[in-house]
Amino acid sequence: MTYLTKLIDEYSQLPLIIQLAWAISALLIVAIIFLIIALQILRKSLRIRHKEKVTYKKRYEGKLINYLYGGGVSSLLTAEQQRCIEEFKNVVHLKHRRKIIVSILFNLMNQITGEMTEAIKTFYFKTGLIDSAIDRLHSKKWHVVAKSISELSRFNVCEAKDEVAKFIHHPRPEVRTETQLYFVTLFKFDGLHFLDEYQEPLSEWVQIQLLEILNQFDDQQICDITPWLQSTNDSVVRFALKLAQIYNQFEVKDTLMELLTHPTKDIRLKSIQVLTSLYGIEAKEVLKANFESLSIEEQISFFKLLEKLVMPDDEPFVEKHLFHKNFEVQLLAVKILKSLNKDKFMGLSTEVYEDSNPKILEFVKSI
Amino acid sequence: MDTSSLNIILKILHYIFFGYAVMAILSYVVLSFISAKETLLYMKKRSFVNYKHILSSTMAPPITIIAPAYNESLNIVENVRSLLSNHYANYTVIIVNDGSSDDSLEKLIAAYDLEKVNFIINEKIKTQPIRAGVFKSKNPAFEKLMVVDKENGGKADALNMGLNISKSKYVACIDVDCLLLQDALQKLIKPFLQNASSKTIAAGGVIRIANSCTIRDGELIDIKLPKSFLVRSQILEYLRAFLLGRMAWSRLNGLLVISGAFGILDKDIAIEVGGYDTNTVGEDMEIIVRMRRHMEEKNEKYRVSYIPDPLCWTEAPDSYKVFISQRNRWTRGTIETLKKHRKIGFNRNYGFFGLLSYPYWLIFERLAPIIETVGIIYFTILVILREVRWEYVLAFITLSYLFSMLFSILAILSEELTFNQYKKKGTGFKLILLSALEPIILHPFVLYAAIKGNYDYYFNKKKKWGTMIRKGLATS
Amino acid sequence: MQKKKIVVAEDNSTLSMLLKFRLEKEGHELFIAPDGKQALEFIQEHEPNMIITDIMMPFVNGLEVISHVRFKLNKDTPIIVFSAAGQEEMVLKAFNLGANDFMSKPFSPNELMIRVNKLLD
Repeated sequence: MTYLTKLIDEYSQLPLIIQLAWAISALLIVAIIFLIIALQILRKSLRIRHKEKVTYKKRYEGKLINYLYGGGVSSLLTAEQQRCIEEFKNVVHLKHRRKIIVSILFNLMNQITGEMTEAIKTFYFKTGLIDSAIDRLHSKKWHVVAKSISELSRFNVCEAKDEVAKFIHHPRPEVRTETQLYFVTLFKFDGLHFLDEYQEPLSEWVQIQLLEILNQFDDQQICDITPWLQSTNDSVVRFALKLAQIYNQFEVKDTLMELLTHPTKDIRLKSIQVLTSLYGIEAKEVLKANFESLSIEEQISFFKLLEKLVMPDDEPFVEKHLFHKNFEVQLLAVKILKSLNKDKFMGLSTEVYEDSNPKILEFVKSI
Repeated sequence: MDTSSLNIILKILHYIFFGYAVMAILSYVVLSFISAKETLLYMKKRSFVNYKHILSSTMAPPITIIAPAYNESLNIVENVRSLLSNHYANYTVIIVNDGSSDDSLEKLIAAYDLEKVNFIINEKIKTQPIRAGVFKSKNPAFEKLMVVDKENGGKADALNMGLNISKSKYVACIDVDCLLLQDALQKLIKPFLQNASSKTIAAGGVIRIANSCTIRDGELIDIKLPKSFLVRSQILEYLRAFLLGRMAWSRLNGLLVISGAFGILDKDIAIEVGGYDTNTVGEDMEIIVRMRRHMEEKNEKYRVSYIPDPLCWTEAPDSYKVFISQRNRWTRGTIETLKKHRKIGFNRNYGFFGLLSYPYWLIFERLAPIIETVGIIYFTILVILREVRWEYVLAFITLSYLFSMLFSILAILSEELTFNQYKKKGTGFKLILLSALEPIILHPFVLYAAIKGNYDYYFNKKKKWGTMIRKGLATS
Repeated sequence: MQKKKIVVAEDNSTLSMLLKFRLEKEGHELFIAPDGKQALEFIQEHEPNMIITDIMMPFVNGLEVISHVRFKLNKDTPIIVFSAAGQEEMVLKAFNLGANDFMSKPFSPNELMIRVNKLLD
C-alpha cells in the first residue's frame, strides 16, 4: 500500500509531459489487453464456425442430393422429399446454416440446368428460403440488399420483380448492378430496357457480366439496339456496340457509320472494330477521306479493317501509306500489299525507302 | 553565453525529434482508421460479388502475364505450369528468359513442346536483343504460352521486352517464383473494369509469405506459420504494411508502389511513359510514380488500386544476410525513385500526390532510418556526457514500444476479420508474442539494412552497378 | 448392363457428389478427382471405360488430361468434357485433341446420363 502511494506521489511530481506519456501508455496497455482477448475469442469462434461449416456442408450436400434424386415420376413431391423439406425448414432461420445451404444450392444452380433446377427451385420456395431473401430486401444495409437480389436472380424468382425494380436507381452502384443482373437473368433481352433512360455510368465489369448472362440463353433473339447506340450515355453506347458485334447486327450499320464521328475517341475506335466484323465496306471511303485527321489508334484500326476487307481498288491508298511512321500501320500496309499485288511487294524489298523498317519487309516476306 | 546557445540548439533538436515522433504516430493512427473503414467496405462488396461470369467470359479484357526468369532452371517448369492454370478465359503468358546461363530454356522446350516461331517485335521500348528467339508450343493445350529468349539486361529490361511483345490491353507483371492463386487475375482485373468515372492505371495485390506453407502442384494446400523468427517477423511486417498501410493509401488514391511480385498495369500507359527504368533497383516503385506523374501532367483522372485478397505468395529471405541485402536494395530503390521525381514533392500542380503521398514517403519512409540513427547517436552522446534524463527516456520508450505493439495487433486483428489465413490453434498466441518481440529483435536489422542502403547509395557506386547487372529475381 | 469404371474430374464438390450418386445408381464404379492431376493418377491406376472432365481445373487442366490420355497413354477411352459458356475455343481444342463429346455448363444431368450411356455402348 505504501509502495503504491509512493508511486502516485512520485508520478504527481513528474513534469506534465511525462505524466501524459505514462497516462497514454496505461491506456495503450488496456487497449492491447482488450484487443488480445478479442483476438483470441475471435480466432476461437472462427475456428468453430469453420468446422461447423465443413460438417454441415457435407451433411447438407448429401441430404440435398437424396432429395433431388428422391423424386418420383410425377412432379409431385414424394413423402421422403417432403420429410427432407420439413427438416431443412427447421434450420433455415439460423443465419449461418442458412448461408451454408444457400451456398450449396447456389453452386449447384451454376452447374446444372433442366428438370433438376426446377426441383431446386421448389426446394428453395418450400423451405422458406425465399421468404428470408425477400425480407432482406428491406434491410437498411445496402450490401445485404445487394446480396439478397443476387440470390433471387440465381434462383429465378420472378415473383420478386416489382420489389427488385425499386432498386434500379439506388445510389450504391453495387445495388444497381445486382438489380440489372437480376432483370437480365430473368427476362433476357427484355430485361435490358432499363438502358433506355439510364443516366448512371455502366461499368465494363457490369457490361461483361450482362453479356455473359445473355450469352447463356438458347434464345438469342435480340431487340432493336439502335436507341442505345444513339444514347447520350457513353457507357450505354459502348455496351450497345458490343451487342452489335456479338449478335452481328447488320441492320444497325448506318447508325455505326454515324458513330465514326462520335466525340469520344474510344467509341469511334470501337465502331471501326465493329464495322470490321460486320463487313462494313461502306466505312472504307469515309475513313480514307479523313485518314489524316484520324488519331493513330483509329488509323491502326482502319488498317486492320482493310486487312480483312481489302479490294483491288484500295491498292493506291495502301501504297501511299506503305512507309507510315507508325510500326503497326506500316506492318499492316506491307502485309496488305503483299496480298494485293505480290509482284509489287517483291519489288519493294530491294528498294530502300527512308522510313521503311527493313525488319518489316523481311518479316512479311517470310510469312 | 556558450552554454545558453548550446542549450537552445539542443532544445530545438529535442522539439524536432519529438515533433517527428508525434507526427509519425499520428499518421499511423489516421491511416489505421482509414484502413479499417476501407476494409469494412471492401468486405461488404466482396460478400456478394460473383466472379463466375468474368472468369469464363471471352469478352473480359485480354491480360498478358509477363514473367522474367533469370537462372530459374530448378523450378521453372512447375512455375510456368501454375501460371498457365489461372482461372481467366482471356490471358496469355510470356516468359522472358533474361539471358539465363543455365538450362531453363531447354527445360521449357522439352516440357511444353516448344518450337521457334517467326516473330516481329515492335521495339517501342529499347531492350537488349533477342538471343535464341521466340517460342510457342506445338501442343494446343499450352497455346497461352510464349517463351522469349533474350540477352541479359536485368529484370526491368526483361519486363520491357514483355511490354513490347504483349498485344493485350493489360499486363500482369510478376516474379516467376511467386505462387499466384487461380483466381488472381479475375480478382485483380476488377478495379480496372469497375470504375467508370476515373481510369485505373495500375493495381496491385497483397504479397503473402509462403515459407513453410505446403505447396503441391502449384496449389497452396496448407498455410503454416514458419518456425524461423526472421520469417515470422516478416509475416507480421507484411500484414502491417499491406493490411494497414496500403489499404489506407489505396482509399486515399495515394499509392506510390505496386509490388513487383504481382501487379497489373495498363499497358498503353506503361509504354507511353517509356516502360520500366533499367537504371534503378526499384523499378516497380519507379514506374508507378512515373505513370502517376504522367497522368497528373496530362490532367486526367486516374486511380492506382489495391486489393487485399491474398493472391500472391512468395518465399521471404530466411537468412539475415539475404534479408539485409534485400532491404538494402529496397532502400536504394526508394531513394532513387524519390530523387528522380523530386519535382513532384510539395508541388501543387501534382495535387494530393505531390502534397501528401510524396512528402509522406520522403519524410516517414525515406528519412525515418536517418532520423532514427541521428537520434540514437545523439542519445549515446548524452549517455556519455551523463546528461540523460532517464525519466523521459523510460516514459517515451515505453510509449513508442506500446504503440508499435498496438499497430501490429491491429494488423493481426484485421487479418483475422478478413481473410483469417492462419487458422491453426495456437497461432494466435504466437502472433501476439511476435508483435511484442518484433520491435526489439527485427527492427534493428531493418534499420541497419536501411542505413547500409543509404551508405551504398551515396558512397559505394561500384556496389550499385554490381547488383544491377547481377540482379536476377526477387529475393534469392 | 455391365459395370463400368468412370473417372470424373471436377472441382465442384456438390456437382461431383451428384454425378457419383447418379452414376452409381446406374451401376457404375466411380472415381472422383478434384483436379486434373488426381484424375491422371486414377486413369493410370484404374484404366477406366470412360473419362468425364471439366476443362478449367486446378493445375492440370482438362485439355492436358485429354492430350495425356490420347498421346501419352495412346488410349481411345471415351472422353466427355464440361465447359463453361463462352469457352467455344477451348471446346474446339478439346475436340482436336480427341474428346468425344462435350457439355456446356450449366448442363442437365439427365442429358449427361444419355450421352454417357451412348458412349459406353
